[in-house]
Amino acid sequence: MAAVHIAPNIEPRADAGKPVPKAEARRLSFYYGAFRALKDLDLVVHENRVTALIGPSGCGKSTFLRCFNRMHDLYPGNRYEGEIRLYPDDTNLLAAGVDPIEVRMRLSMVFQKPNPFPKSIFENVAYGLRVRGERSRRVLGDKVEEALNGAALWSEVKDRLDDLAFNLSGGQQQRLCIARALATDPEILLFDEPTSALDPIATASIEELITDLKKKVTILIVTHNMQQAARVSDYTAYMYLGELIEVGRTDELFIKPKNKQTEDYITGRFG
Amino acid sequence: MPNARDLVAIRALIASHKRWDMLFGVVGLVALMIGVLTFVALFADMAIDGIPRLNWDFLTSFPSRKPAQAGILSAWVGTALVMLVTAFFAVPLGVAAGLYLEEYAPKNWMTDIIEINITNLAGVPSIVYGLLALGLFVYQFGLGHSVLAAGLTLALLILPVVIVATREAIRSIPQGIREGAYALGGTQWQVCKDHIIPYSMPGILTGVIIGMARAIGETAPIITIGALTFIAFLPAPPLKLEPPFVSFDWLFSGFTVMPIQMFNWTSRPEAAFLQNAAAAGFVLVIMTLAMNGFAIYLRYRLRKNIKW
Amino acid sequence: MGMTEHISKQFEADLDTTRTRVLQMGGLVEAQILAAINSYATGAPDLIAQVIENDARVNGYEVAIDGACGQLLVRRQPAAIDLRLIMAISKIVTDLERMGDEAKKIARMSKRIHEHGTHQAQRFPAIRHAAQVAVKMLRQALDAFARLDVASAAEVLKEDSEIDSEFKSVLRQLITYMMEDPRTITSALETVWVAKAIERIGDHSKNLAEQVIYIVKGTDVRHTSFADVEREIARE
Repeated sequence: MAAVHIAPNIEPRADAGKPVPKAEARRLSFYYGAFRALKDLDLVVHENRVTALIGPSGCGKSTFLRCFNRMHDLYPGNRYEGEIRLYPDDTNLLAAGVDPIEVRMRLSMVFQKPNPFPKSIFENVAYGLRVRGERSRRVLGDKVEEALNGAALWSEVKDRLDDLAFNLSGGQQQRLCIARALATDPEILLFDEPTSALDPIATASIEELITDLKKKVTILIVTHNMQQAARVSDYTAYMYLGELIEVGRTDELFIKPKNKQTEDYITGRFG
Repeated sequence: MPNARDLVAIRALIASHKRWDMLFGVVGLVALMIGVLTFVALFADMAIDGIPRLNWDFLTSFPSRKPAQAGILSAWVGTALVMLVTAFFAVPLGVAAGLYLEEYAPKNWMTDIIEINITNLAGVPSIVYGLLALGLFVYQFGLGHSVLAAGLTLALLILPVVIVATREAIRSIPQGIREGAYALGGTQWQVCKDHIIPYSMPGILTGVIIGMARAIGETAPIITIGALTFIAFLPAPPLKLEPPFVSFDWLFSGFTVMPIQMFNWTSRPEAAFLQNAAAAGFVLVIMTLAMNGFAIYLRYRLRKNIKW
Repeated sequence: MGMTEHISKQFEADLDTTRTRVLQMGGLVEAQILAAINSYATGAPDLIAQVIENDARVNGYEVAIDGACGQLLVRRQPAAIDLRLIMAISKIVTDLERMGDEAKKIARMSKRIHEHGTHQAQRFPAIRHAAQVAVKMLRQALDAFARLDVASAAEVLKEDSEIDSEFKSVLRQLITYMMEDPRTITSALETVWVAKAIERIGDHSKNLAEQVIYIVKGTDVRHTSFADVEREIARE
């Protein structure tokens, strides 16, 4: 659109610099046994940006997300086709020679329902480091504090690190899970409907946190709440029946989607 | 707003439905009482017969031909030692097997068959285990009529119970916890050691105690492998004064256990021996209750930290 | 627009009601403009009074529809075409309300002109013509809005230049009169105000048409050359 006038810089999300790809799905298909749940997906996830996956229940958005950290390897009969490339080293996360454990050490995940371990707050956050063989109490302490700070939870729990994680509220538990995921300095944080079990206030604090976190880490989030995608994400991908229908900048997709199916879904005409 | 006549009809209907509530309340209470009262009656009868006979000498004396001098020292020490051996073998084996079946084994027809077999093993009559043990442990392995052979036999007997309990406990752990641990980059063993085993411990303990409570009262397999009915000595002590300070000779010692001692006494004609049997029975029930109490306490302690 | 219906019937109904009220408001504004132009020609005092009185109704529509838009935003968090429609409606009612104000202004001027008894309107067919074009533009813009018809909206944009040239010719004529006979200066100036009001009505109709394009295409064509607009419309 050739606008002659001067466009003042009042973009709602002024993107600092050109987006750099952090990960990229290429012709990714996924099978539960014989059922093809994902069909030839292509998606670029940009570094230090939030990419949201939206779509109706059963569209495959969570299935897609769980490909990124090879969660499907935990269950028999699952099969990937295609690639997910992780940059800058250009590793294909789905390659047969790549150990899923290595993948999970690089990409962290936050789940739908807060799932803290029945251990102390400290041990919850430290677990990822313990898995990596970290034993020094000092290193663990520093990292736990850093991660809890990153998850905006430190001030609330610093005096009761040895308390059980279950004694925290739902929103705090979810932030604890975010801290647990952050402690190992992941390259990408995967969020699987992180606020669907939370009340609006806790939801707002998690959303605030996500916006904050993208300065440090690349974020991919699945949400069934379109407004949430609109609020937190820079890019949105709409999925339907295992296919990626449309990907675009969030502000463009929500004001002027290119695809009729996307439009029907986000305007509540999906039938 | 329904009119007054409808309201009357609705109330009559609710009242007639509630009569069934009442009825089942009564039936359930009666059913419960039959079980509880029978046990209380048995226990009271035994206590009345046995308690007058209970004293320090009874606990610290060997069996004797004279009822008044007879005691249960060798029996309760034997029971305690056999239980120790049973637990020592059944718990690690059962937990390992249960853990493997739940977490490691691929889900296919092989594991299905194994699963069915384990469930069936729990129902095999105990005397069959006794016969097996007689052939295998006593003669084949040459363990003789020893504490070790008895402990291993009972371990075999309760193994299915421990395995099933372990599997149930592991299954009750939410999948989200498992995935959370794997998502942090844990290997299968790290996830088992740091999460699965600790979180399923309360359930496993329950299974172990149920198994042990069954084992403590077993008579048939113990007799089958040739426990002595009358012994006036104790197995060698596990600790010695001279190096290496520990001794495992007791494992190979002859022994008797509480139920055999009771059986022996009840088959005597003298009434005084029957009183002795009641007293021993009372001690046995107390031992079982103590074990159960300990299990409940442990379970409570461990469960406190786990909510799902 | 062959859109499927919303899952929420209530949302569908609320959107429909709001759209209908915009069209009702547009109809009222159109009638106001016609009456004002007539009052300018005839000086009928009751017509003048009626236009001035009815402007309150136009204002009432604006407030009510804006309120409805706010409600829709809060309750439905609309996206895509629904969002664009509601945002556009909120702007359209502002334009319609301004047109209502212009009609009132014309009525006031007519009153003054006829009180002075120096009415010379019949000598200005150019004003009548400009008024006709303005009303036609409004009608077409409303029609484009009702049918979400981009081609029709684009025509409205084109017609705006016609009104501008009409305005310039009225201005030239009046300047000639004023030079010929300085006694007409007062009434001529008042007539300029009327012509200016009509020209403004044309501008507002153009804004309306631009909003229709925004609703359908999602492109903001304000402050854009007509050639660019046409290119944008042609793009699929």
